[in-house]
Amino acid sequence: MTWDGTGARGTGSIDAGTGAFRGLEYSQPVRVGKGKEGKTSPEELLAAAHAGCFAMSLAGELRNEGTRLAVTAMVVMDEVEGRGHLIRESQVRIRARVPGVAKTAFDETVRTAHEGCSFSQLLGDADVKVTIDAELED
Amino acid sequence: MASERKASVTWRGSLMEGEGTVETVTSGLIDSLDVDWANRTGEQEGKTSPEELIAAAHAACFSMALSHALAEAGTEAERLETSATVSFVPGTGITNSVLSVRGTVPGIDADRFRQLAEEAKDGCPVSKAFSGNVELSVDAELVGAPQSV
Repeated sequence: MTWDGTGARGTGSIDAGTGAFRGLEYSQPVRVGKGKEGKTSPEELLAAAHAGCFAMSLAGELRNEGTRLAVTAMVVMDEVEGRGHLIRESQVRIRARVPGVAKTAFDETVRTAHEGCSFSQLLGDADVKVTIDAELED
Repeated sequence: MASERKASVTWRGSLMEGEGTVETVTSGLIDSLDVDWANRTGEQEGKTSPEELIAAAHAACFSMALSHALAEAGTEAERLETSATVSFVPGTGITNSVLSVRGTVPGIDADRFRQLAEEAKDGCPVSKAFSGNVELSVDAELVGAPQSV
């Protein structure tokens, strides 16, 4: 990625090594503001990473070809007195269609998937709170 | 005030045979990035992975922190080119992130640039979120101003 100019006024552009994405723009006002101006931020990319990691971990535990998962992660960053900006929380929301699985078994599998998701573990080790809201749908 | 950023993934099928799609909800900038397990652990063929997204987040976060520190020090960066390489070991997790930055920064010497890069590596919010078990390193080098064409 490249960055031109200062933190407050500059702009950056991000490319992926695999070529999966190129030229994503991001900037500081977008990062700490409302963030709906067609530029991304580190926290949005982390949200995408966490949702992807959790979805893969859960799919791996469910072992069911009929699985359909919709996973959303919301990453919350806030300024903490004396410590600057910190990532405080990632809220994971899962809506799943899994043929033939009971709710109790599903809930247990979600817990196992959380333990097995490398990014959940990474956040937990750094005292970032991870909340999970998981529901089976018909 | 807290900043909230949301992203979503749809996954179809099992881990090994299935595949997913990533989209960002907040900015709308990323829609339909394909993601799958084979690409996460093996050869990379135009599909992304959680670790690639983490690498992008880390490189972006570090660059913003360093550009801010350089401006505060009175040596504003003209340009920073940063990469982050994140390693994922199946069964172990994310083990390290290696940052590399090439900076065009008038008026600074190499030692000071490396010092500010080390501080940005330790201090940016994404680095702090990695503070548990991920090994972080940065290789910082000054380069000359790009030739005008």
